[in-house]
Amino acid sequence: MEIELDVKELEGFKEKNFKDRLAFIKKYAEWVKKSTNKEWSSQQKKIINK
Amino acid sequence: MEIEYLENGFKFEKELNQLDEFTIEFCSILNELKLNYVVVSGYIAILFGRNRASEDIDIIVEKMDFKKFEELWKKLDLDCLNADNSEDAYKEYLVNNESLRFSKHGEFIPNIEFKFVKNNWDLEALNEKKIVILNENIFYISSTELNIAFKIYLGSDKDLEDASYVYEIFKDRLNMFKLEGYIKKLGIMEEYKKWKLNLM
Repeated sequence: MEIELDVKELEGFKEKNFKDRLAFIKKYAEWVKKSTNKEWSSQQKKIINK
Repeated sequence: MEIEYLENGFKFEKELNQLDEFTIEFCSILNELKLNYVVVSGYIAILFGRNRASEDIDIIVEKMDFKKFEELWKKLDLDCLNADNSEDAYKEYLVNNESLRFSKHGEFIPNIEFKFVKNNWDLEALNEKKIVILNENIFYISSTELNIAFKIYLGSDKDLEDASYVYEIFKDRLNMFKLEGYIKKLGIMEEYKKWKLNLM
């Protein structure tokens, strides 16, 4: 069975996903700025040292 | 975020992750040998809190002669992933504008991507470098304006996200005249406008 792909729709999803990522990064940066260095860096360490 | 803004850089403390530790370790040797270098690209966003892993840390260094490089080679207690000896590393890679990759013994990731200055943009990164004093350790990074501009120029989703993060953290202190000057020189005004629109 052939799968029908709507490339335009996929492009739309991709674009929306990217915009959502940027919105998240903005919120995360705001949180980092409000947090103590100990708070954000200990969370960062857990991800990077995995 | 607690950062002390110095005349030409940043001083702060954080819980060090393995990328911070590796950068500090490598740069302490470059400092000891009084080499002129600058850490560039993705690590800048990570240094200031971006929460993502990275395979490498990019370092640009001013050209040096073989004697000086050999001194550095002997001091690095690391594996070189693409050359077996100092002569090959220097003659086959560095002088041909190819990067060397150094990792901890028996490991592949993360690694330091180490290269000579090869164009005016690299030179600009060196000339405009900023000092970082992180938990009393000193190293040098490219300016946030140049970092953001170059990330927009590179243009992958990851690069644009890094640019956005650095912009959000430092937006009240950025020299927008300088940033937009880089944007113009890189010929990416349309990309910059689109990127800024996405930030709103």
